[in-house]
Amino acid sequence: MPWWWKSLFRKRALEAQLSSEVRFHIDELTDANIAAGMSPMEARRRAVLEFGGGEQIKEELRDVHRVRVIESAIANLKSAFRFIRKSPSFSAVIIVTLALGIGANSAVFSAIDAILLRPLPFPNGDQLMRLGQYNPRVKSPQTFVAPVRLEDWNRMNSAFQVISGYYRDDGSETSGVLPEKVAEAFVAPRFLQVLGASPALGRDFSAAEEHFGGPNAVLISDGFWRRRFHGDPNAVGKKLRINGFSYSIIGIMPASFLFPDRDADLWVPVPPDAPYAQSREYTWYSVIGRLKPRMTAEEARANLTTVQAQLGKAFPKPDADLAVAIQPLKEIRVGGVRRSLWILFGSVSLLLLIACTNIVALLLARATQRQHEISVRFSLGASRMALVTQLLTEAFVLAFIGAALGLFVAGGASSVFRSLAGSLPRVEEIRLDGRIVMYSLACSVVATILCGLLPAIRGTRRNISGSLAQANRTQVSGRNPLQWTLVGVQVALAVTLLAGAGLLLRSFQALGRVSPGFEASQVLTFHISASYGETVDWKGLTQRIDRTLDELRSVPGVEAAGASATLPGVPSQYQTELRFTEGEQDPEHKMVTESRFITPGYFATMKIPLLSGELCREPKFISTPADPTGVQHTEVTALQMLVNRSFADTYPAGSTVIGHHLQAVDNPFLRPRDIGEVRGIVGDAREEGMNREAGPTVYWCFGAPGGPDPFYLVRTHAEPMAMAETVREKIREIEPARSVFDIKPLPERIDDAFAENRLRTVLLSFFAATAVSLACIGLYGTLSYSVNVRQREVGLRLALGALRGQIVKQFLLQGLSVTVVGCVAGWGLALASSRMLSGMLYGVSPSDLVTLSSVVLVVLLVAAIASLVPAVRAARLDPMQVLREE
Amino acid sequence: MGVDRSDLLQGTLDMLILKIVALGPVHGYGISQRIQQVSREVLQVQQGSLYPALHRLEKRGWLQATWGESESGRQAKFYRLSAKGRKQLQLEESQWNRLAEAIALILHTAS
Repeated sequence: MPWWWKSLFRKRALEAQLSSEVRFHIDELTDANIAAGMSPMEARRRAVLEFGGGEQIKEELRDVHRVRVIESAIANLKSAFRFIRKSPSFSAVIIVTLALGIGANSAVFSAIDAILLRPLPFPNGDQLMRLGQYNPRVKSPQTFVAPVRLEDWNRMNSAFQVISGYYRDDGSETSGVLPEKVAEAFVAPRFLQVLGASPALGRDFSAAEEHFGGPNAVLISDGFWRRRFHGDPNAVGKKLRINGFSYSIIGIMPASFLFPDRDADLWVPVPPDAPYAQSREYTWYSVIGRLKPRMTAEEARANLTTVQAQLGKAFPKPDADLAVAIQPLKEIRVGGVRRSLWILFGSVSLLLLIACTNIVALLLARATQRQHEISVRFSLGASRMALVTQLLTEAFVLAFIGAALGLFVAGGASSVFRSLAGSLPRVEEIRLDGRIVMYSLACSVVATILCGLLPAIRGTRRNISGSLAQANRTQVSGRNPLQWTLVGVQVALAVTLLAGAGLLLRSFQALGRVSPGFEASQVLTFHISASYGETVDWKGLTQRIDRTLDELRSVPGVEAAGASATLPGVPSQYQTELRFTEGEQDPEHKMVTESRFITPGYFATMKIPLLSGELCREPKFISTPADPTGVQHTEVTALQMLVNRSFADTYPAGSTVIGHHLQAVDNPFLRPRDIGEVRGIVGDAREEGMNREAGPTVYWCFGAPGGPDPFYLVRTHAEPMAMAETVREKIREIEPARSVFDIKPLPERIDDAFAENRLRTVLLSFFAATAVSLACIGLYGTLSYSVNVRQREVGLRLALGALRGQIVKQFLLQGLSVTVVGCVAGWGLALASSRMLSGMLYGVSPSDLVTLSSVVLVVLLVAAIASLVPAVRAARLDPMQVLREE
Repeated sequence: MGVDRSDLLQGTLDMLILKIVALGPVHGYGISQRIQQVSREVLQVQQGSLYPALHRLEKRGWLQATWGESESGRQAKFYRLSAKGRKQLQLEESQWNRLAEAIALILHTAS
């Protein structure tokens, strides 16, 4: 405690000054006396006499300088530490309770702080916006932006400092011993400028490297640098071979730079003047922009809308149909987990509140035991204020030690949280720093007031402390309404938390019991590295994937294989508006369906039954004119599709939909000339996520679903991961230049997709269990105290012939009646707060009677056990012994 | 010495100190001497009240203290009036004068 030392140090200097001032006065008096003719000895003696008691004066001077607040604070602290030493177990209970409560709270707060509160880890991160384009006339999702439009926006707007963009693709890097899959981000010019980042080593892209025909350059991530070059600074200038092209490494990004995501290995510039980047129809870029200082998102939206309107005049097709969307980049990244985190924070705060309530009860009981001490201090003239301050200081010291230990708890809890929540955004930014320490300190102050104020005020009531000091022994009444109210409050809060946890658990169960219309077990999923460059030749691409799937099917132990752009059961939505080309279309009833892109083998692999019709046949291709670089393009023609049962039931086209043709309306990914023929009807499967009923869905058969890098799905006879190596070897055999990556069983992917759900459920259940235990400890403690106080009464009654059963019943009922009241209040609280959980529940209503009543039953049962122990102890009292002691 | 030495009236010591310090930087010993001289030995200041008063006034910011060499060559603590102290002195003087006038008036009219 540094200020202690300072005070000590200052005291010494002050003391020296006081002495020399007094000495000076006496010396001068002596001189005057000598001048008046006295002998030096006599002169000195008279001077000292005249000056008066030097020590007494110095003491008075010290009094003038004494800092009363601090001195009394020190005295209070000393007495607080004495109090802790005197009752170590009592203090330990309080400290540990607070350490757990504050620690858990700080841990959740550290996550909220890192994920929600702090700006993104870029300079002036709040200026960063995500820009998108969408067609307001159809319910199509936001789409990616054409490179030419991105350049137009950047040139014509006046709201942004700079606009840039990126898209993700995976490539295969072949300059090493084995081909390695690399996660590439292809970036528009000004990418690092928007983010305000610069390489840790090397440089940003040069103008020449951002022009078509310029040198190939690449920036590499810190992770890739360490993995591949073992952190050798000479890596700058070395060459990489990615998808057959050679690139020079011009720089290494810092370890903290994890954009667009934490897996990104390489950043490669895309020249905006490249001939292949000129179509306004392209949907390539996720666009990011940095707002000018003091510009709001609203102003920027208005500005960019004007720009887009100008583009709409210049290029009616397709710009006139497009609107712009602007959202803070941070919102895009973390908006999805906001509610979960606040719910966790709310529950962990409730937990702390319960812990504090428990401590209040403990301190109240303690205050009754200390009444003697307090009345002695009163009679010695202490003011009530001074006593309240003293008791509060004791509470603060306990809370402070608790908070300090809580930081260790938070450290542990944080790492548990990180491992449970690996998929949350920005998890890598969670850390315990000064802010968290300050937060814990603030928690300890709040806890001091919550825990200490009430016992301090009640404990120092003069009349009570005076009268009870003598009445102590003869007191019979164990009624203490305040303590029982506190127990009731704890029970109510615990019931609320448990109800929330119960609802989440029930929906988790319900989700597990769902029959999704497909079989996820024994399906292995993975990717094979590929490049979007392959899309110029759809025929070649389709044949490659086809061949790969055929080879996979030939592997012993593989039952079926297919490919798909998305995974069944993992939440994803892709809504398209369709219309039948045959017959009149009812303009009032738009046909908006989910679209899925799959190979025909998908249905056998997922065990989705074909109900009628047949699967897609071989696709046909047409050749389109060669592009300026001389590459021959091929495209798919005569698309085929399957619909699910729900589609066939919702949109009946005469007797059956088979043989009808469907056309996508205004879909940026499916061109208007993409007309598909419905070949068959399959069973309903939960394609949009396990938590969503299958809606009308259209399966578009593509040889290369969603592009060159679909998910490969392989149904195995045995445990799927056991086949991983076999699959890897097979691919190496047929495609030596490609790498297999991201191998996982399908059930694990579905689990991962609900990781946030799982995190919520696990943590909330844990908090609820802790809350119930705390409430029961509170009940147990209060009832035990009540039994202790009423020993004499119980002894008397037993001596007068009361049955032991009656005694047990009496105390048991006392405990249970408070619990019942608490349960009723908790039920109400749970109903009131259940709205917060809506949207997170599946297959159970927020006011589910079964859940709520089983929660109450559990709490009552546990409370009964907690009450039974002290009740039985009361009944076992030996009346003779009790009466003798009195 | 036909006149009794009187103790200082409560509350007037502060004003006297301020008044004397206003004349120039002076140490505690000097102040006690000055009060006795100026009041022609009528007022006797107890050291026991002088020093606590000085320190109190210093703590309130009315006096500023520096260590320096006295006429006798010893290290002494010199007090001087601060701007705040000057204002306080004016205030106390005017209050004192009003009180004195009022008392004088009562004494004259009552006789």
